[in-house]
Parts: sequence; structure tokens; C-alpha cells
Amino acid sequence: MSFAPRIANSHPEPPSRANRIAHRVALDLGGVLLVALISLAAGLSINRFSARPLPLVYKTPEQRFDAELTSLVTAPPLALPPSPTIGLPEFRAAVQAKSALIFDARPAQFFTQGHVPGALNLARDNFAYDYRQLSSILKPANDKPIIVYCSGGVCHDSRLVANALLTLGFTDVSVFTGGWEAWSAAGLPVSKGAVR
Amino acid sequence: MVGGRIASVERGRSMMPAMKSTLDYSLWAVVLALAALFICAGAAKLGDPLEFADTIAGFGILPAALINLLALALPMFELGCGLVLLVPRTTRIGALAVALISVVFFSALLSALLRGLVLDCGCFGNGAPSRPRMWLELGLDAMVFSGALFVYRRLFRSDGNARPAL
Repeated sequence: MSFAPRIANSHPEPPSRANRIAHRVALDLGGVLLVALISLAAGLSINRFSARPLPLVYKTPEQRFDAELTSLVTAPPLALPPSPTIGLPEFRAAVQAKSALIFDARPAQFFTQGHVPGALNLARDNFAYDYRQLSSILKPANDKPIIVYCSGGVCHDSRLVANALLTLGFTDVSVFTGGWEAWSAAGLPVSKGAVR
Repeated sequence: MVGGRIASVERGRSMMPAMKSTLDYSLWAVVLALAALFICAGAAKLGDPLEFADTIAGFGILPAALINLLALALPMFELGCGLVLLVPRTTRIGALAVALISVVFFSALLSALLRGLVLDCGCFGNGAPSRPRMWLELGLDAMVFSGALFVYRRLFRSDGNARPAL
């Protein structure tokens, strides 16, 4: 009843059926992996030479919009086309008549300390966020006059924001060149607080 | 075991020629259908990889670091599967690739449906998000899987490459 003689007399066993199947499936999986790697390489190569290549890391539509908005207000000031400008008397008349949307392009902390009555903070340094916050006011005001100001003197924030608004499709945008300095020096009314 | 193999060969020999030919035709019909489906699906996604990346992101499964890579590679992979299916020497690999990717598609769609998401799967370019369409596409994935498995098993058993018996 011993098994030993039978084993000794038998022919060498061919690879088992399970082994052969596993070997072939492994080879096929290798082929699939090769197709996947070639596809990845082809996709990356096409993207590299594409007119609008995708970045390697995904950005949500909101992140892309923010980046686009931010890029609008980061252009070098000298490269900007000149925006229409207005002086203090016209600006004062527009503020009193409430005939235009007034935007303060200074950083939020300066806006909170004091701003032109009725002005909204559309800060150059936080443009994407402020623009989205103000979109409910801005969207219906496509053709309404818009006046932007900043500190005054040599500040470029109002020009950058005005130019960004023009690029975004607003048609009647001008810059009050005297800015906050001219307004406060004239002893005109001032509002305080973080009104947006 | 040896007896079993001989019996199997005998069965293969005794298979009626008409039946074998029908099987060959049905095999090639499935191969052509799968190849056409994958080539169309891959080509439809090539046009706007950004939109496709947004569609993938909508599933909420992959991290941001992998979404764009998949958006770039998947259309090429689908095209590759279609082409590999059409070449007789590599049809078996193409069938396995299609079976595996259809499991991935099925799992992603099912997970989105179970989480109550309403998406456009982006399977054939961009469309309107719709749950009934997601269920239909889930069914299509199941059919694609069955078809690919049929082709793979058939070619695996015949121990060779797919050649049309025309």
C-alpha cells in the first residue's frame, strides 16, 4: 500500500494546469500594464505640446477662476492700458447722486478704518475672493458706471482693478485718481467698518 | 487528467463545423463591437481633457494629484484597447484590458449612484448629468464586461490568437 514505487516509476510531471493558467494570465496582465504605460506616456506627450496643457495637479473650476482673476490684477502697472480717469468734483457728484458703483481697491484693513460712503471693498490684494463675494452686485451692473479708487498719489491698485473689470466685460469703468487722500483731505464724509 | 484532456480534444474535433463557425463569427462580432465602442469613447474624450478632468473630479474618488493624469491617460488607454483588440495577435490582451477597465468604470458609477450623486459619467464626451443615464451606463459596463470576458475566455481556451475563420 505504499505510494513510493508509484512515484518513482512515474514520468516527470508537466507543469500543473493551474500553473499554466496563472502564467498565461500573468503574461496577459503584463500586456495590459504595458498598454496602460504607453497610454500614460502618449497622454502626457500630447498634453505637453497642446495649446492649453493641463497642469499635473487638478484644480477645481473655482480654483481656476480665482487664479484667472488673480492674474488679472498682477500685471505690471506700466503694461496696463490707460483707464479713463475722473477728478474729485465728478467723483463727489457720483457719490452723492449714487449714480455709480464705487469700489475701494485698498486692502481690507484700510477700508475698515475709513472709506467713501457707499463704497464696496474690491481689494486688489484679495481680488478673486472679493469679486466672488460681490458677484451678485456686479453681475447685473455690466453697463452701470463703475468708479474705482485706492490710496491716491502713486497707488496702482485702482488701475489694476479697473483694468481687470474692463477685461471681465464691464464697459464703463473709470479711476478716481485723487483716491482716499484727496477725499479725506477735502473733509468729505467718511464711513467706517467692514461693509462689503 | 490526461484522459480529460483527450476527451476535451475529442469534443473539440467532433464540434460541428457550422457551430464552430457561428462561434467564430460571434466572437469577432463582439470583438469588433468592443473595439468600436472603445475607440469612439477614447476619441470623444480627447477633445477636452479639462472638461473630462472635471467629470472625474465629480465622482469624488481620486485625489487631485491623480485626476489630471487619469484625464490624460484614460482616453489614450481606451483608444489603445480598441486598437489592441483589432490586432489578432493581441486581441486576448485587449479583451482582458477592457474587462478590467469596465470593472473600474462599474465600481466608480455604482459608488456614485449609492452616494446619491447625479453626474455625467463622461463615458462618451460631455453630456447632461442624469441618474437614469448613470443606471444605463452601469448596465452598459456590465455588458462590456461580459463581452470582454467571453472573448478572453474563448481565446484563452483556444490557446492562441484570434483569427477570423472567414
